[in-house]
Amino acid sequence: MIIANWQAVLSFALILFLLVPMGRLSTAYRLVVLLCMLLVALIPMSTGLTLAGQLRGLTDDLAITTLVWLAAAATIKLGYLPPISFTTRWPLWLGFATLGLVLYPAALGLGMIDTYRWGYSPRVLLIVMAGLTVVFCLMRNTLGVMLLTLATLAFMFDLKPSANYWDYLLDPFIVIFCFVAPVIALLRGRRNGAVET
Amino acid sequence: MIFRSWSLGYRVPAIGVVGVVFALAWWLHQPYEMSGFSTATDWDDSSVITAEPVMQRLFVSSDLDDFVHSSSITALPGGDLLSVWFAGSREGAADVQIRAARFDAASTQWGDEQVLATREMTRAAVGKPIRKLGNPVIAFAPDDRLWLFYVSVSLGGWAGSAINVMVSEDQGFTWSKPRQLITSPFINISTLVRSAPVFHKDGSIGLPVYHEFLGKFPEYLYLDGNGRVVDKFRMADGTNSLQPTVVPLDDRRAIALLRYAGEKEGHVLATMTADAGQTWSEERFVDPLNPNSSLAAIRSHRDTLLVAQNNLADGRFRLTLDEASFNLSKWSLINTIDESTDAEGDPIPIKAYEPLIREKFLAASGPRRHVLLDEYMQLLEGRVCRAGMCNFDYEYPYLIRSDDGNFHMVYSWNNSFIKHVTFNRAWLEAQK
Repeated sequence: MIIANWQAVLSFALILFLLVPMGRLSTAYRLVVLLCMLLVALIPMSTGLTLAGQLRGLTDDLAITTLVWLAAAATIKLGYLPPISFTTRWPLWLGFATLGLVLYPAALGLGMIDTYRWGYSPRVLLIVMAGLTVVFCLMRNTLGVMLLTLATLAFMFDLKPSANYWDYLLDPFIVIFCFVAPVIALLRGRRNGAVET
Repeated sequence: MIFRSWSLGYRVPAIGVVGVVFALAWWLHQPYEMSGFSTATDWDDSSVITAEPVMQRLFVSSDLDDFVHSSSITALPGGDLLSVWFAGSREGAADVQIRAARFDAASTQWGDEQVLATREMTRAAVGKPIRKLGNPVIAFAPDDRLWLFYVSVSLGGWAGSAINVMVSEDQGFTWSKPRQLITSPFINISTLVRSAPVFHKDGSIGLPVYHEFLGKFPEYLYLDGNGRVVDKFRMADGTNSLQPTVVPLDDRRAIALLRYAGEKEGHVLATMTADAGQTWSEERFVDPLNPNSSLAAIRSHRDTLLVAQNNLADGRFRLTLDEASFNLSKWSLINTIDESTDAEGDPIPIKAYEPLIREKFLAASGPRRHVLLDEYMQLLEGRVCRAGMCNFDYEYPYLIRSDDGNFHMVYSWNNSFIKHVTFNRAWLEAQK
């Protein structure tokens, strides 16, 4: 059995854990469920890959920010952290959606400027991310600070096979999430508002 | 704890920690200086040509059952050559393998085929499902390491490709496991390789690559001497150009010719760099037609470009060797390397085709592969013929020079064999 890399296994387990309804399960049982998800991620497939490795073909390696965000969401689901407030969430949605707009259209060939290049010689990008992290600090946005700081630490220690800083900061899924989540929040807000009135 | 510290107003120490992390990352990622192109050669083009004109043709591959395509070749020390290509039941099939054969300089014959990479071994090494393999490119580096690049697809069609790399420290007898280059932020898809790498003076590698996901455009991928991605540079944008073949002229300047991939009838595209590949001029059409087919270029001994191409409006039934001035304003035909007997490339009835392909096989294959002829003749239907009508296809040329200054071209011969054509300076001079 070929064990896909640690990140794929962890990502798979966290996503599955977040998708499974927990009802009124206690924290201890939820931890057991999380461990079970890790085992599910390691189920060997006929190709010799694990289930997580098989799905890695669809997603490649997720960004460190995505992984940290998933870990934070799982920690909340386990009851170790309070839910993230709207005032914490919206700057993250705005920040990552903006970064996605900066990165993807240009990286996929819109024009001669390739913003993905900025991640190979990343000094300017590091300064921009440091600035954004300081903004999150000032806004007391702990999750934002953790996302960017841990992604940068992972980049320093080459924890991913990529030599490009962007691959630690963004993947298509976190960007799509940051575009979709505000819309869902808006719709929910309207629906709740309608019920209240 | 962290949350509580925020509420107590510990923002300044937190900003300090963040500052240290980012400052360290900034300090660890020093800017690099891009080295100029390596243009040193083992041959001397200024020497007087005394040899007789030589032009030889040999089949490289020997497996009769498979569709073969997208060959590449490199010269090894001592005069041997190594060629790689992909082979399988059809292009994109799950059974496609990356194969190789070695040309023995002593016997002047191509040896048996070897398998260098398979879907299964790539999957095991990179830890991802692999649907298909393609486009291998091999190159012997100035530091005596042999590099093999090839594409693999985990998701979708060729637009979902990623580039894999293997390296050999012993001239191709043993190889490292493949690893994937991360070259795209979009789940690392849509970077393909086809053309010869270019080496820089410090041992770094310039790999011409291209994208064909949303756009079709070329890029120059810059790797360090250990095959780690250092940077990449866009050569053109849009949806029209693929498969750049890059020819350095000196340590800063290079010309790239591009396959035209637009919808309408088109010509070869060209772009130039004057800073060792970092910036490229706006691509422009040059004289030869290009029917959306791969082409190869190399510098000749008389300061011109040699270009192997299908200079046709449509189809790949004629492969020519052409010559162009460095400013790409003057083009001339050196010779036709292979062509259909039908001037328009129209299908030929199998009864008329059989003696033609037999004759071409004998002229092209070399004595060691002659024994394959009768068996090959039984396989025409389905390989080169459909419902009794047959075609000639000569495509995907790849050009290099070996240490003795001779020129070597490999290409797909009717997708049935990889064909090797070699010629010397005297032969080129004799064509005019």
